[in-house]
Amino acid sequence: MVAKSKRQKKADEQLEAFGETIVEDISAIRPPKLKVPSRSTSNIFYDKKNRYFVLGDKYGIRSAANVKQVKKIAQTLCVADFCKELIDARKFATLREMYYTAEGWEAGAFYDQGESDVIVEDLEAMFGVKREDLGLTPEEDGAAVYGQLVVKEEDATIDATKAGRGGYTIPPTIDDVELLKCKAKRVIAIETMGMYHRFVQEQAWKTFDALIVGLKGQAARATRRFLKRAHDELDLPVYIFTDGDPFGFHIGMVIISGSAKLAYINHELAVPDAKYIGVTASDIVNYKLPTDKLRELDITRLKQLQKDPRYNTQFWQDEIKKMLELGKKAEQQAFSKYGLDYVVKEYLPVKLKEAEG
Amino acid sequence: MKSMAVELFKEFREHSVSEFFRKNAAMLGYTGKIRSLTTIVHEGVTNAIDAAEEAGVLPSVTVSIKKVNESPEHFKVVVEDNASGIPEKYIPDVFGKMLAGTKLHRHMQSRGQQGIGISGAVMFSQITSGKPAKVTTSEGGGEIVHADVMIDVDKNEGKIVNGEKSKGDWMGTRVELEAKDVAYVRSRYGPFNYLRMTAIANPHVQINFVEPDGTLTVFERASDKIPDRPKSMPLHPWGIMSDDLLALAKHTKSRTIAGFLVTELSRVTKGKIKEVEKLSNVDMNKKPSELTWEDAEKIVSAFKQVKIMAPSTEGLRPIGSGNIESGMKQILNPEFVYAATRSPKVYRGGLPFIVETSIAYGGSAGKSVEGEAEVEEAETGGLELIRFANRAPLIFDQGGCAINTAVRSIDWRRYGVNVAAAPVTLFVNVVSAYVPYTSAGKQSIADEPEVLNEIRGAIMDVARELRQYLCRKIRIKERHERAGIFEQYLPVIARKAAHLAGKKVPEVSSLIEKVAGVKIGGKKQTSEES
Repeated sequence: MVAKSKRQKKADEQLEAFGETIVEDISAIRPPKLKVPSRSTSNIFYDKKNRYFVLGDKYGIRSAANVKQVKKIAQTLCVADFCKELIDARKFATLREMYYTAEGWEAGAFYDQGESDVIVEDLEAMFGVKREDLGLTPEEDGAAVYGQLVVKEEDATIDATKAGRGGYTIPPTIDDVELLKCKAKRVIAIETMGMYHRFVQEQAWKTFDALIVGLKGQAARATRRFLKRAHDELDLPVYIFTDGDPFGFHIGMVIISGSAKLAYINHELAVPDAKYIGVTASDIVNYKLPTDKLRELDITRLKQLQKDPRYNTQFWQDEIKKMLELGKKAEQQAFSKYGLDYVVKEYLPVKLKEAEG
Repeated sequence: MKSMAVELFKEFREHSVSEFFRKNAAMLGYTGKIRSLTTIVHEGVTNAIDAAEEAGVLPSVTVSIKKVNESPEHFKVVVEDNASGIPEKYIPDVFGKMLAGTKLHRHMQSRGQQGIGISGAVMFSQITSGKPAKVTTSEGGGEIVHADVMIDVDKNEGKIVNGEKSKGDWMGTRVELEAKDVAYVRSRYGPFNYLRMTAIANPHVQINFVEPDGTLTVFERASDKIPDRPKSMPLHPWGIMSDDLLALAKHTKSRTIAGFLVTELSRVTKGKIKEVEKLSNVDMNKKPSELTWEDAEKIVSAFKQVKIMAPSTEGLRPIGSGNIESGMKQILNPEFVYAATRSPKVYRGGLPFIVETSIAYGGSAGKSVEGEAEVEEAETGGLELIRFANRAPLIFDQGGCAINTAVRSIDWRRYGVNVAAAPVTLFVNVVSAYVPYTSAGKQSIADEPEVLNEIRGAIMDVARELRQYLCRKIRIKERHERAGIFEQYLPVIARKAAHLAGKKVPEVSSLIEKVAGVKIGGKKQTSEES
């Protein structure tokens, strides 16, 4: 069995300390209390200095002396104990697996998975650790990486250029993966897998000295964690290439500034230095790209983004306004109008140059 | 002696006896198949209880109803008491003489309100089935008298048509009546509910009841104290009814109506009689025996227009809250019961009355009796109302009764009672020598404002007590539920926390006791913490 990672050790210690506090309370005939940071919208703030969403300092106190809260506390302890067992056994379970396991717990089954998921979020927020560190993983794998990166997963060493055309699949447990070697100088994250495969075929990873990451739409936690590690540990700049529409914009923004929903864990996920090099309204005009008309939903979303503090920059305000004026949007793959390799040969180099200044 | 009944029957001379019954059905209680059977039971049981009380014996009454020839409308009713028996020579009068009862010549808050008494039941069964009443009685001397009694309608006399004697060590009276055109149901109008209500209002009585299907129900005695007999009081003109006057006229020794009214009624002077004479145009110098029904009605209404001193409040005989509670407990086995006897009040400027109420919650309260198929008025759901006047059950005509009006005027939600579902039985007894009945049927109390208000106030008295009980019950239940939750989850918290910390599981019972306010296992409340 492999040793616990540093993160797991930290989580393990926190769980143990959590248990100790409660044992002390009970021994002192004092009702145990849980201090759970509030995740309500009134407690989520955009941290301008760090450039991502963070939780404020509001919290709720849950007391075992409160008849309405004692069951929830018992359930929280059951989840904590379940997590500790996972960590001690170096195993992982999905949230859904845990939800089903809870059927046999002494504190009783959950009404639905939403209920058990919230308790996991409570623990993440209380300890400032990610669920992955507690042995719990999301359902889905992360995205794919192609490029000059060698990783170590337990006993296996994997070269991301030799993992087949699909590249190296980022596992949900990406924090357990050791980033051994990297020759790349940047990371390019791409919204669609179609464009990702175009980049792989055109050997863009060579052209740009880049790790090409296929996001498969909105980036999964594991993918965001990988991008964060690539930036922090490998010191690589991160670029995000998406469709030219409000949803593409936001895929980029969530990687950069984190989501409000995960505000309590954004310090582990957000990559504030990542740069957006996706299709813009200006690109649509400049490159005379084939377009689609903005749908009702797109317009609503663009107007929301206009008011979002994360988009409060000259660049974004101009681009959003321009797109609303145009009434048009364009996909990444629209560049195929000029030939399949146009995007790699012509568009990206210009964009990258602009971004890197 | 010329009997009153003969006077009464004069008017029906050309008519058959059955027509007499039909015409006076409402007054006599013999309307409808179910009600007729209940009335027979009522007369028999009333007679039995009165006889035992007068003999100073705790009444034990056995009632059995049997089908005859498997017909659904032909029954035999047997009522047996443990009183001191009836001397043989009185048997024809007791069972065969209409309006010859011992109650009518004196006035009191009597439970046998129909006046016509057991002889009416004998008459009814005789008309419908053609059979005599089979009377068995013994004064306890080892001799038992068996007598078949029939009424000679023309002479208004009872006749023993068949009699014999036997030896045996028994005392009491047993009457067997066979009647047709009656029906047995276990609805609230039937004999079962009548006996159940009688048992509640008369906790000193034991009633054994055998239904036509053989089911035996024993309404056990809940009190060993025979209530004081109602005091015989002269009637006050305000509360008198025509039939009372006729009955009194029969027994008086006075020679004129004027004289009889002054001597037999209270607070009546010669001066007042003159006023009455003017108003009624009835010749006050007639012989009392010449008083007709019409005269009586005129005199009754004339008295109401004359200023007379109010009657004395002496002689009211409530059941007493303690006795009512005993009766309610015995019959309904409730988890909560409360009864109140209010102080005497007067209505119509001076007629005294007392209202007694009781409320029972849980047990078999509120369920009344099985099968409500015969219900003619909308029932107030889970809340069962049982009405009494002078401890006699009022079963019919509930819709028009002041007691019912009072119950419906109350917002029961304020007392925590869901009228449609709560297991609640509400008892109301109006005690008076002058119960203001709505009609000669004497099953319903009139909406006299003072009476209605008093009933309402008395109901609220007991409803408030129920509300307090229910609130307490909810609090205790909540506290126990609360304690149960802590008992369930705190040990889990302790075990899991200990496992997380790798420590011994801490003792958790003290904490449970602290937060739940109860001792584990015992679930005893230690504080009023909510």
